[in-house]
Amino acid sequence: MSEVPQSETPLLRMRGITKRFPGVVALQGVSLSLKAGEVLALMGENGAGKSTLMKILGGVQPPDEGEIEIDGKPVAFDGVKDSKGSGIALIHQELMLAPNLDITSNIFLGNEGAKGGLFGPLNRPKMNARATELIARVGLRLPVTTQVSRLTAGQMQMVEIAKALLTKARIIIMDEPTSSLAGAESEQLFKIIRQLKADGIGIIYISHRMQEVMDLADRITVLRDGRYVGDLHRAEATHDKVVAMMVGRELSNHYFPEKRERTSTEPMLEVKDLIVPGAPDRASFTARKGEILGFAGLIGAGRTELMEAIFGVTPALAGSMKLDGRPYAPHEPRQAIDAGVYLAPEDRKRHGLVLPMSVAQNTSLPNVSSYAAFGWLDRKTEQEVAENGVKRLRTKTPSIKQAVGNLSGGNQQKVVLAKWLAMAPKVLILDEPTRGIDVGAKAEIYRHMADLAEQGITILMVSSDMEETIGMSDRVVVMHERKLKGVLERHELTQLAIADLMTGNPEARGSLAPKATGESNVAAS
Amino acid sequence: MRRELGMLIALVLMCIALWTSNSDFLSASNVVNTTRQVSMLGIFAIGIAFVIITGGIDLSIGSVVGLTGVIIARLSSTQTGGLGYPLWVGVTVALLAAVIVGVLQGLLITRLKLQPFIVTLGGMLLLRGVSQTIVDGGVISMGDSPLLNLASGGLLHIGRDPLIGWPLVIFGAVAAVGAYVLHYTVLGRYIYAIGGNRDAARYSGINVNRVELLTYVISAGTAGIAGICYAAYIGQMSQQVGVAYELYAIAAAVLGGCSLRGGEGTIFGILIGASMMRVIDNGINMFQVQYTDPDGIRRIWRLNPNWNWIIVGAVILVAVILDQVVHMVQAARRLKEAGQPKPASGPPSGAPPEAAKSPV
Repeated sequence: MSEVPQSETPLLRMRGITKRFPGVVALQGVSLSLKAGEVLALMGENGAGKSTLMKILGGVQPPDEGEIEIDGKPVAFDGVKDSKGSGIALIHQELMLAPNLDITSNIFLGNEGAKGGLFGPLNRPKMNARATELIARVGLRLPVTTQVSRLTAGQMQMVEIAKALLTKARIIIMDEPTSSLAGAESEQLFKIIRQLKADGIGIIYISHRMQEVMDLADRITVLRDGRYVGDLHRAEATHDKVVAMMVGRELSNHYFPEKRERTSTEPMLEVKDLIVPGAPDRASFTARKGEILGFAGLIGAGRTELMEAIFGVTPALAGSMKLDGRPYAPHEPRQAIDAGVYLAPEDRKRHGLVLPMSVAQNTSLPNVSSYAAFGWLDRKTEQEVAENGVKRLRTKTPSIKQAVGNLSGGNQQKVVLAKWLAMAPKVLILDEPTRGIDVGAKAEIYRHMADLAEQGITILMVSSDMEETIGMSDRVVVMHERKLKGVLERHELTQLAIADLMTGNPEARGSLAPKATGESNVAAS
Repeated sequence: MRRELGMLIALVLMCIALWTSNSDFLSASNVVNTTRQVSMLGIFAIGIAFVIITGGIDLSIGSVVGLTGVIIARLSSTQTGGLGYPLWVGVTVALLAAVIVGVLQGLLITRLKLQPFIVTLGGMLLLRGVSQTIVDGGVISMGDSPLLNLASGGLLHIGRDPLIGWPLVIFGAVAAVGAYVLHYTVLGRYIYAIGGNRDAARYSGINVNRVELLTYVISAGTAGIAGICYAAYIGQMSQQVGVAYELYAIAAAVLGGCSLRGGEGTIFGILIGASMMRVIDNGINMFQVQYTDPDGIRRIWRLNPNWNWIIVGAVILVAVILDQVVHMVQAARRLKEAGQPKPASGPPSGAPPEAAKSPV
């Protein structure tokens, strides 16, 4: 990366920011500075105060104490509009786009610039032309009249950035921008970020992924429990140092549980010539008893769709599956569940949990009918089961009667796991098991996964986090554009090998030579 | 439960105010009459609550009330236009018709994935037309059919009036069964889960279609039961019977703490909501202020009967406004708490404030 000339006065300076909420100090004298053309990574565990700090910067909430300066001039934001007016753009983790509108309309949303206010006519040709310029700047080559719902997560991210560019933002805050991206899409984002940097835009980058922070950030600011812990320059930052600052101690044991030699070759789930709706090819693979089989690929590579077919959400159109030697063809999740195949979905809040319901009620949901006599709810058993789940996974919740919507992401994921572990899993499908979960909870979930595999449960793990895929999987199936591209054995697991397959490099190691029929098959070994 | 308690207090205060202004409010005949009205509304308000808690809506129940009535009149009335079959034939056919309506609407909603609003709007209009056709645009009198005893008879008579009318007995039974199903059975748990998060319910292996279909059958079925009571009460069946009743039931459910987004509501709340709606109706007639005019003549001021709908509408709006204000205050508080450092009590995630409303 080329060094960008940086002026003396920082672009942004936040000093002594304190924010109190009833009974809790969310931020205590936090300071932060950002130079033009700099990428500042803001790190900290969930609840460290990153979001609150960024909300203050975005004008969503006013600080109780402290000052914000832009170009050395003090500013006070009375609402989001003020913050935007000062050239700050906040890109939320959950993208704020209207899926039913096209790219142009989304980029201009709220900034249509039409004369005459609400009743002013929209100048579509001019808007389209400008939108085309903007998306070209972020590397998108699509008609700007494409409806946003048809874009991939990565493309949507680019539209968000284009939207920020429209308002001539000088400070762009990105909250976990890669949480829904993988590989190439992330790379594309990094390229754009470097380009924005070269244009003198300051970027505050929030992420839990150490590797990309190391690659991208000029400086790292670490928060812990609402306090400023320190700054690290790229040169001095190491993985362990940052983690130590975040958690306040050196992590004594290794992040990923040690991989034990799992020798079983007994097949648990055999998938043969499965045609998943929307996929161009048949998919075949075998998952062995007690193994963690990773699924790597870009977003949109069809991994979630494949898992949903295995779980019966969207039944496969053709092909066959065998579970523990017996034919298995679920048409509804209920059938999968009855057979012992469980799914912890990618989108916990949408598919995994009933947020307003309690920990106990969520834990018992798939199984409550089995301990109900004549339909009468057995609350005692239900509570025991929930208590056991909380104990086993060490879920942090005030009580099992707490609504799961009030728990943190990591604890919500534990409730999802507890719900399935209370039954008898044969195959546990974990789709992005640690997305949006902080370091401490991640390590715990990894340990549980290793334990489950040890007990002979087969785990299919879809993950867009390369470290996680390599750290946890016994073997990895790589998908690209809804096709199985290859399977990597344990000794072949490297970032490069996976990335090669993931991006469709035909010479990649572990690649399946395309058959005459064009089918991609991953044979059981 | 807090919302239900708030409404209960409001209801009690309203009754006290009405009684203070006009002691006739608690007279035997007024109490019996109001109770009957509450009971008949309550029966199908409980039914629609099942639908509303799953996040659906049923606009057809007013028409189902009417349809049941005219079917009974047409089949069992011995008067002009009636076919004179035994009463049980009319009642059975009427109830069956109601259940079939529920099944058909439920199938359209769950199998064809049509929106409940549209399906039941169509059902509402269509069934109204069917009723009109059955009575041939006129009126069929039940005459002195024994059915009329259903509305006027009951237990523990005080003078001519029964203290506990049959409609109240039926209402009690429906409420008991409703409360049992909703709060103590697996089906009830599934209903709340579907209202809370339809997708998560399906991913947890719940047969969402079957449960939803059942709620529409329950809704239409209770409307059928209420329809029998109304037929007994009114005695003269025309296409007009039951017009706009679905709106009363929805209002009762909402006043009683159901959210039209689904996932919230209790049978106890429906009881209070239905009582509220009918006490307001009755109160508009009963409320009076006695005063002495400048000439020293004692006069009585009453509410203008034309204000009836104004008052009913205003009460509903005030109730939901108050509720929303409470929600917003709570939401603001939660937003503030979002910055809290401890993950366990950390960022909220769009959970409704009365999160664990259904009994655990």
